[in-house]
Amino acid sequence: MINTLMLIDDENLFHLVFEDACSILDMALSFEALDSSDEADAKFKAWFPDDPNKERPECVFVDLNIIGSSYDGIEMIRKINYEYGDGVVIGIISSSEDEEEIEKAKKVGAQFWIIKSDDIEPRLEEFMEDYDVYKSKSAPFKVYR
Amino acid sequence: MVEITEHTRNVLLEVAKKKKIYVEGNFLKILKAPKGDKEFEDYLALCKEKDITTRKKRLTVTKQVQLQNKELEAAAKENNRINKQLSKALDEASKSAEEAILAEKEAQKLRAEAEKLRDAAVEDLDTLQKRTQFELIGLIVKTALWIIGGVGILTSCLYLYVLSQGIDAKIIESTWSNLFGILLTNSFSIIGTIMGVKYATEKNK
Repeated sequence: MINTLMLIDDENLFHLVFEDACSILDMALSFEALDSSDEADAKFKAWFPDDPNKERPECVFVDLNIIGSSYDGIEMIRKINYEYGDGVVIGIISSSEDEEEIEKAKKVGAQFWIIKSDDIEPRLEEFMEDYDVYKSKSAPFKVYR
Repeated sequence: MVEITEHTRNVLLEVAKKKKIYVEGNFLKILKAPKGDKEFEDYLALCKEKDITTRKKRLTVTKQVQLQNKELEAAAKENNRINKQLSKALDEASKSAEEAILAEKEAQKLRAEAEKLRDAAVEDLDTLQKRTQFELIGLIVKTALWIIGGVGILTSCLYLYVLSQGIDAKIIESTWSNLFGILLTNSFSIIGTIMGVKYATEKNK
């Protein structure tokens, strides 16, 4: 089970869907949802470099297009991985299947790409099966379709 | 995991029994039943079951709302697209109406010009006809005058010749006077006809 899970997505309704799906699947002990990448950026900035492992979430799901934010999901992942010390399991959760964007995400250090749809639970279940390997940073990049 | 005290355990069980209130949410995931406490284990299992049922219900509703939102968004986009098309069609129709008005004005202008030209042509034709008529009348009058004059001169010459030769001139005399009378009458008749034609033509005009 994931200790702390963070979702960065501008769609508030998806926060509820994701939280309930996570709860039903017993995915995480605690869950935090943010609706802008600026808010997430401020939090990660505050956590780094004082005590990065104390408060930082264990796993972060980022939407690709975060409307109303200064950064998109790929830029957010790049910042977390390259500016705020890495150390979290991080990936994209988006309804997009654009191969070019998937490649960009891979390049900035995203570990997975989950396709959003009405039936998200099977993908999250599959993700949880692979989670330990993601944690050890030994898993290859994977797209959950 | 959090192992709870005897007192808390009893309170939780009592609240569940009497008020049907159960622990829910992520807190449930860290609660642990004391070893061998079957009753509390069952209680926690029931709490989890209720929590999952509630979450499943909420998830279904949220997904429905999410789906409806997507449909509404799509409908709004479609409406927007149709509105844009309608606006475009309306603009085009207005433009066409303006063009039609301009074309109508142009047509009216051309019609007026055509009518003006037609009137001019009719007038020219009328003038031409009149001129032809006058020329014809002139020719008839000239011819008639020549004939009248000729006959007059011929008859007079014949009468003078008869008088000078001393030939009986009774027949030629009466003929000459009759002929002059007829010639004068005819001359006035021709003049009267010409005047009449001229008067009628001016009246028609």
